[in-house]
Amino acid sequence: MLVFSDESMERRLTKLLIANRGEIALRIIRSARLFGLKTVAVYSAADANSAHVGAADEAIAIGPAEAAKSYLDIAAIIAAAKQSGADAIHPGYGFLSERPEFAQAAADAQIVFVGPRPEVMAALGDKVAARRIAVAAGVPVVPGIEAAEISATREYAALVGYPLVVKAAAGGGGRGMRVVAEAAQLESALGAAAREAAAAFGDGRIFVEKYLAHPRHIEIQFLGDNHGAVVALGERDCSIQRRHQKIIEESPAPGLTGEMRAKIIDAALKLARAAHYSNAGTAEFLVEGDNFYFLEVNARLQVEHPVTEMRFGCDLVCEQLRIASGGKVPEPAAPRGAAIECRINAEDPEHDFRPATGTVLHLSVPGGPGVRFDSHLARGAEVTPWYDGLLGKLVCYGANREEARGRLVNALDEFALLGVMNNAAYLRDIVASAQFRDAKLSTHFIDSFFSGWEIGKSEIDAAIVAAAITADGAMGDGTSEDAAPRAGAERRSPWEGLKNFELWGSQR
Amino acid sequence: MKLTRAGDLREIDAEVISRDGSTIRVRIGDRELAAEFTPNADGGGILAIGGRRYPVFVARRKDSILVSVGPASFEFKPAEAASRRRARGLAAAEITAPMPGKVLKVLVRDGDLVEAGQPLVVIEAMKMETTLAAESAALVKHVRVEEGQMVDHGAVLIELSPSPASSVRESAPRVG
Repeated sequence: MLVFSDESMERRLTKLLIANRGEIALRIIRSARLFGLKTVAVYSAADANSAHVGAADEAIAIGPAEAAKSYLDIAAIIAAAKQSGADAIHPGYGFLSERPEFAQAAADAQIVFVGPRPEVMAALGDKVAARRIAVAAGVPVVPGIEAAEISATREYAALVGYPLVVKAAAGGGGRGMRVVAEAAQLESALGAAAREAAAAFGDGRIFVEKYLAHPRHIEIQFLGDNHGAVVALGERDCSIQRRHQKIIEESPAPGLTGEMRAKIIDAALKLARAAHYSNAGTAEFLVEGDNFYFLEVNARLQVEHPVTEMRFGCDLVCEQLRIASGGKVPEPAAPRGAAIECRINAEDPEHDFRPATGTVLHLSVPGGPGVRFDSHLARGAEVTPWYDGLLGKLVCYGANREEARGRLVNALDEFALLGVMNNAAYLRDIVASAQFRDAKLSTHFIDSFFSGWEIGKSEIDAAIVAAAITADGAMGDGTSEDAAPRAGAERRSPWEGLKNFELWGSQR
Repeated sequence: MKLTRAGDLREIDAEVISRDGSTIRVRIGDRELAAEFTPNADGGGILAIGGRRYPVFVARRKDSILVSVGPASFEFKPAEAASRRRARGLAAAEITAPMPGKVLKVLVRDGDLVEAGQPLVVIEAMKMETTLAAESAALVKHVRVEEGQMVDHGAVLIELSPSPASSVRESAPRVG
């Protein structure tokens, strides 16, 4: 496409394989098409009818439902790339996106990997090594040490004081993390964390850090090219987390002073330059009072990248493709307004966030100015237990935070999903709350204000009324066939799943 | 008619009292609500109760009723089976898989006596671990699964029988 015909690009890519699934695969396919590339989807047996398979120009089955034998199978994905003649691979997020051996395997096969070079990824993927790079670059880190030896660790713990947090060197996304409240718990926590880390990541190295009481999670999006330039695209505040998983993200970070923002951006750029970073990356920080501390670098596109895109009016996947083509990163436009994203997950928010599965029987997608819904869902889509439960990301833009927040409340109220239990009402209540309006943001937000959340009484009443009417068998009588055409029941494969369901208005 | 919400033991006593055109009177516990239902072209409808209008979608499955009210989602099940079990002093005679997934850990063996709340099985689905616990004191009659096994939604994992020591006869709490 002409818009991306950039003189600085050294190579002309033609075909992109997307080594992912779900909403992000779909999102990448859209940008790749805009960029002028043919697209290749890969899919597991559980995803044969999934949206990304239909959206791509070609689709290749790579294995059974188990991620380890499909989306995590490097050999199968490289083989699919060769078979289809793809000259580039985009890893998305999760799965193989931060595995240096995957980037290396692509390079070995003469395929461009849309992401940082393997050695950069390896250095930053190791939290201990990343901390060292940060310290060397003059970037503040949370006080902590590698917990190689128990006596030294105990001495250090006494020095910085409890509570402490134990983390896996190879970990990420909160996995392998635990908080140690007092000295008596230290040894057992270290042992358990090391075992967990060894089991989960094949790497039992751990380190301990001071536990911050009320930190905010603020991260900087940056883009580096292969000519040594690195630019930052502002910050995102991702303080609203549940069990260390982000659920609501926004930009700009409310209340952050210009001075503080400049300092954090400067630190992120120093870090990216020190690591010789290329392509899209995110530097995560904890911010408490006037202090900020480097946490980790995510060497990939983040789930929450759309809030940055909406403020900067850019397409980060296209920028990634431009960089992967040898192009130069452009100077970003000045950011405008505010954007807030929330993650709609397949889970039951009233019952310990138990993961949910099912078939989508109905989906109401919100719309209007400034509303974006990135999702792979459609009527008939199956949500299986095989992969993470992200159903979609609802992102709203506004001239200011209140406008973005108001739009997001409205959009969540418009959203309806029947067939898969999800957290949309929970998100709506959070975004609509006085605490969120007043931006009382910290990583303890959920524990402080939303533990033990329940759906509002009047909505429960309405649901009971609807269930009672349905059980009574009365609904069919009150619904004319014209008004509600027969849904689902008579359709054939791949809508088989719908046969077990009877929507209102179905013939009896 | 007695309903329970999935994941919740409390019984909801609800029934349709009368219907007059689109006006429907429903009793929930000892309260009576008047609802107005207007179907939409998309298979759902608008339920008006007490001056508020809710976009509602409903589907009936063999063993449950799925409802969405605006962004909120619900699953209801008939309570009869659960209350029969409770009358025998057991909250649930079987521990079933709440979702398809992999059995990560089996924490009890045949013949074990377990207490209410004691973890029995850990299932992994969607990269999340879910621990299934005994709802009441019970005797483990038969463990039907092994660690590492894949199970479907609703598969029986463990059979329980009333604990010889227990004389639980409490009636289920109610809402509504």
